[in-house]
Amino acid sequence: MKKILFALALTMTLHAQERVTLIRNATLLTITNGTIENGSVLIRNGKIAAVGKDIAAPAGANVIDATGKYVTPGIIDTHSHTAVEGSVNEISLPNTGMVRIGDAIDTTDISVYRQLAGGTTMALVLHGSANAIGGQSQILKWKWGRPLGEWFIPDAPRTIKFALGENPKSANFRPPAGQERQYPATRMGVEEVIRKSFNDARDYLAAWDEYNARVKRKETAIPPRRDLLMETMADILNGRIDVHAHSYRSDEIVMLLNLADEQGFKVRELQHVLEGYKVAKEIARHGAAAGTFIDWWGYKAEAYDAIPYNIALMTRNNVVVSVNSDSDELARHLNLDAAKAMKYGALTEEEALKLCTLNPAKQLRLDHRLGSIETGKDADLVIWSGHPFSTYTRAETTMIEGTVYFDRAQDLLRREELRKEKEQRLKKEEDDANAAKKEKKDA
Amino acid sequence: MILRRSVAIVLLFLAAPLLFADAPGVYAITGGTVHPVSGPDIPNGTVVIRNGLIESVGSGVSIPSDATVIDVKGAHIYPGLIDAQTFLGFTTPKRGDKSAEPTPDALAVRNAKISDDDASAGRNLGVTTVLTAPTSGIFNGQSAIINLGSGPIESRVIKSPASTQIAFNTRPTWTYPDSLMGVMSYIRQELMDAQQHQAARSLYERSPAGLRRPADDAQLEALQPALTRQLPVVFVADSASMIRRAQTLAKEFNLKLIIAGARQAYQMPDELKGVPLLVSVKWDTAPTDKEDREDQPLRVIRDRQLQPTTPSVLAKAGVEFALVSSPGKAGDYFGGIRKAIENGLTAEQALRATTLAPARIFGIERQLGSLERGKIANVIVSDKPIFEKASKVTRVFIDGREMHLPAEEKKAAATAAAPIDGTWALTVRAPQGNVSMSVTLKASDGKLAGTFSGDRGSGEIRGGSIDGTAFEFTISANAQNEAEATDWLFKGTLAESNMTGTVSTTLGTFEFSGSKSE
Amino acid sequence: MRSAIAAALLLTTSLFAQSTIPNNPGKKPKIAIRNVTIVPVTSPAIAKGNIVFENGIITAVGPNITIPNDAAVIDGTGLFVYPGMIDSGTNIGLVEIDSVPGTVDTAELGDINPNARAAVAINPHSEVVPVTRVNGVTNAITIPEGGIISGQSALIQLSGWTPPEMVLKPSVAMHIRFPRLRGFPLAGVPQDEEAEKEAKKGYTRAIDQLRNTMRDAQAYAKALSARNSDKNVQRFDRDPILEALVPVVEGRTPVVLHANQARDIKAALQFADEFKLKAILSGANDVARVIDEVKKRNVPVILGPILALPQREDDAYDVLFTNAKTLYDNQIPFAFQTSDAHNARNLPYHAAASAAYGLPKEEALKAVTIYPAQIWGVADRLGSIETGKSATLILTDGDPLEIRTNVKRVYIGGEEISMDSRHTLLYEKFRQRQ
Repeated sequence: MKKILFALALTMTLHAQERVTLIRNATLLTITNGTIENGSVLIRNGKIAAVGKDIAAPAGANVIDATGKYVTPGIIDTHSHTAVEGSVNEISLPNTGMVRIGDAIDTTDISVYRQLAGGTTMALVLHGSANAIGGQSQILKWKWGRPLGEWFIPDAPRTIKFALGENPKSANFRPPAGQERQYPATRMGVEEVIRKSFNDARDYLAAWDEYNARVKRKETAIPPRRDLLMETMADILNGRIDVHAHSYRSDEIVMLLNLADEQGFKVRELQHVLEGYKVAKEIARHGAAAGTFIDWWGYKAEAYDAIPYNIALMTRNNVVVSVNSDSDELARHLNLDAAKAMKYGALTEEEALKLCTLNPAKQLRLDHRLGSIETGKDADLVIWSGHPFSTYTRAETTMIEGTVYFDRAQDLLRREELRKEKEQRLKKEEDDANAAKKEKKDA
Repeated sequence: MILRRSVAIVLLFLAAPLLFADAPGVYAITGGTVHPVSGPDIPNGTVVIRNGLIESVGSGVSIPSDATVIDVKGAHIYPGLIDAQTFLGFTTPKRGDKSAEPTPDALAVRNAKISDDDASAGRNLGVTTVLTAPTSGIFNGQSAIINLGSGPIESRVIKSPASTQIAFNTRPTWTYPDSLMGVMSYIRQELMDAQQHQAARSLYERSPAGLRRPADDAQLEALQPALTRQLPVVFVADSASMIRRAQTLAKEFNLKLIIAGARQAYQMPDELKGVPLLVSVKWDTAPTDKEDREDQPLRVIRDRQLQPTTPSVLAKAGVEFALVSSPGKAGDYFGGIRKAIENGLTAEQALRATTLAPARIFGIERQLGSLERGKIANVIVSDKPIFEKASKVTRVFIDGREMHLPAEEKKAAATAAAPIDGTWALTVRAPQGNVSMSVTLKASDGKLAGTFSGDRGSGEIRGGSIDGTAFEFTISANAQNEAEATDWLFKGTLAESNMTGTVSTTLGTFEFSGSKSE
Repeated sequence: MRSAIAAALLLTTSLFAQSTIPNNPGKKPKIAIRNVTIVPVTSPAIAKGNIVFENGIITAVGPNITIPNDAAVIDGTGLFVYPGMIDSGTNIGLVEIDSVPGTVDTAELGDINPNARAAVAINPHSEVVPVTRVNGVTNAITIPEGGIISGQSALIQLSGWTPPEMVLKPSVAMHIRFPRLRGFPLAGVPQDEEAEKEAKKGYTRAIDQLRNTMRDAQAYAKALSARNSDKNVQRFDRDPILEALVPVVEGRTPVVLHANQARDIKAALQFADEFKLKAILSGANDVARVIDEVKKRNVPVILGPILALPQREDDAYDVLFTNAKTLYDNQIPFAFQTSDAHNARNLPYHAAASAAYGLPKEEALKAVTIYPAQIWGVADRLGSIETGKSATLILTDGDPLEIRTNVKRVYIGGEEISMDSRHTLLYEKFRQRQ
């Protein structure tokens, strides 16, 4: 029991940091204002209060000496399935827009902590890609150890997952025995599911308009059934929900962009978008952003034309591009995937750094408060042992809004504590089991 | 009108004496320590029962002349225990069997199939009253609180419906909802539909002219008392995150929330003020294998060790709770309660949590939950304080009638198993390589029955016989690469935990050997 | 219908598995790289040195080497030469597109397939081959998967017109996926008692099956050797399965035991003792927990993928990154693998992750060059830049373990390799679209 208290206390000290922190002597990769050698970042109440070369430590400030180290904004992952309790797919229907990832967050998922240990501070947690229109997704900050309510960002937009290609047409999996295969089975059908959903939503809105008109005329009217799915679709049409669309092949990308134009909604971010380089112009024209893997390819037919130069080609066509993970593992080193964009297609260092910081913040409409080291922005920062694009670099400290959520030195200390607690607890269980066995034998 | 129909039916047994044609009679239970729960313990007290009700409780109570006196000197007298979340009379349907899923309008009292064995399992422990409802679906219908006495179930109902029951169960893959988030949406939509149904019905009833007639819907109708807070809603939620989900939904729809399960409530007592809890005492247990235990996360180990502190944590925080057996069975109930006591709950608190607390949570405290004049005569006698390890319930009265408890007869020692009985790992030395299979055998009157499974398929054995140590049996073995099966005749000799012999097949005769698996 | 399938097959073959990258027409000219920083790996780096190779073999390396007049000269000013990197575990050539079964040849049916040989099924024209080698990975162990005894891996070079031209060692090792009780990644104990019983039964059966097979192979080997030395010994029907295991039970062919959990590693090592196998561990995520057992036997360990998740919630977040350092500290031989095909090109970054968490950088480099050459028995040919070894080299503008480093030229067995791949060609094609 004492052990738990100790472990809790340890967590508390980590979170109850001074509200004023100064990081100094660091190489700051500000993203928006170049590199500042021997730079300092002053953090006050979770916000960046000052950035520059010579910032004096205010009295009582917690000072972190980062000599020889690099500081970047926290890495933002726009394609995560971390911290979801139960299935990330509501697989049952072609359109499951009524379900919400936000209803099923698991704040105990250890992957959250592991990602903090790789410098990732925030993610768009998406519904899976089993259906043409999946569930509503959730933007979360990885405030490990804090109550779920604090993980949400108050001014974050609502988002939803769309999916095109092999997954929504169930190309690579089959329903369990006794279950019928579900519509759609082709890319044609995927388009139809999406179109019909918006047609239905317009009918739904019209029914409510009629009802409201009757009420206004003081006529007796029975309200239409409120339908969570149709409300979601209507909110997309009204621009209240951003569409993040899983896509691979160029034809399906163009299909969705055209369908969006036809139906009157915007695709905020094409997800995966592995053949985006083939239709980068069309993507830019629609104004969609792109979140992609740097070098995954060949794992299915629609990923066979994936190339690591995709990011460079889309960037050169003025598409806002991010590298994202779709993986609890990859989310631990998105900095390295961003670095690969320098290798494949020769992005500048600044362009490459944006791939995992400012660009994802833009894609999530949160660049006013995230994605760069600028005064007034959230102090979501990572201190690295070296340049974040070096494969030999470690994340040393990761903070969100000025609070440290990962610190390598603390982690190394805590391992021993946790190991001891586990040992004691296991011993207790073994003793209990032996005592019970003995009692049984005696009886 | 709709509402009136679904108001809880409270059967007052006074008003129904005819149900008890074989009169329960008059008893005076004397000489024991009376634990009324509603007041201080009474050493050497008496409880008088008449016609199914408690007539008097006290130390100087005069014993009526028509009473049968039961002297329980040195023993303890309690109100019958109430297990306020069980699935008594319901089985878990096979996964994927949609027809078996309960619906919001399903009344537990109509569907429960409670055998006398089911009832006596609780009764023998001193549980005289249970709340029961199915657990397999999402909307699990409307629970019933019933006495575990004799007679038709209708005569034993204390309250029906007692609650609307909701659980966060997913349906099989490919059937909506097959994810937790889907279940949340499903519950929301269903409750919204119920709201809309009510709105449409009341509008239509007021002025039908010019309006399309809303469809009849028994399920949505059945949810109305929950939406108007006339009936509490029991959400089955064990983990802290599930409890919070239940609270979210209850808030969204202004439900009268009760949480069942709640084993992680120790993490969040401050968030549970004003929410009655039915704390399950089926605490998680450790795996038997040491390496499996070591491989488990500290989070899980810590949790299973802290779960049993939930009742004491809640007691300290002043949160009202009952201790319940579900999802465990009656047999695990007392062990679980004792574990809570080992973890800081007092015996008094445990007693309250199994008597008056559940009665209050379900609004039946005027009838049950304590030994008080006028209450239903559910009374139990225990040779020692009830939750002590070696305690034994010696007498149980339900509705004033003494229930038969099984005699202390030792179960006849199981007849010694024949040496061939058990599971054998067999290896057949075929020319293409060894063929392995597992065979489970049982001998009876010179015959052998059993099953096989392994490299060549699985099924029942045929034509089995045993004479001394010699035995034989036949299996239908799949050919290696084809679907068709051929018969393999095993003939062998048994030697303690080994067997050897030959297998005759269409391809020839091979040797086999086997050893007994643990 | 049949024609539709035929058409689909045609389409498959034309679309998939047909690299259009030109192979070098087999010339192994005399080449000299001059004024280049040479990192031989087995000896200190040489600033401003020259390398000469001819007929596929390095003929001279050093600071003061005379360049033959007839050699084609490459100016290496500002560049570096390293030995080509070796990935000690891939499926290169056995898989083109994971989700298209027609292009996947990794796993045979059944549990016991010692006679399955990767060497005969490697597609030399897989798009994966050029994609991998242009990042400096020139050699790979390519491994059959599945079942318990999965089959024989081949050591290949990522260049050649036919499988025999690619294969340097056709039966480099036998691969056993050591049976495990709890699955991978580590799953908990099943809630359901029946499922737990089944799991334990299945595990026991698998172990029995493996041990019975090995015992049969020992007997077979004995009989075979008797018959081979004495024709009077009675003839018996040949069994390809047991025959494939003869070099294994005779300790001639190494056995790679794939095991990750502590208890499985221990069981695998005991199994190797029992059958006197020349064992190599693979995966070995929990190796730090059983380090004494491994050290005692001095069994080489193939680590990787390193950029992967720890298998237990309680495992340190960096456990897979630090395993290499643990082995290094205990002087246990090790090498890295990606266990991948399409991204075997990222082998150097798996190695670098170990260096970020404590392994000396030069050790990380060795574990993708000379160490695997030693473990796979080809240190006389590969793994370092030395006179007499294969001219399997990469010319880079920096440390190949750094992502920002670019590989400029690749030589495999003395042939200069095209730097094109499916990826560069698609890049060039779509750059044209304005």
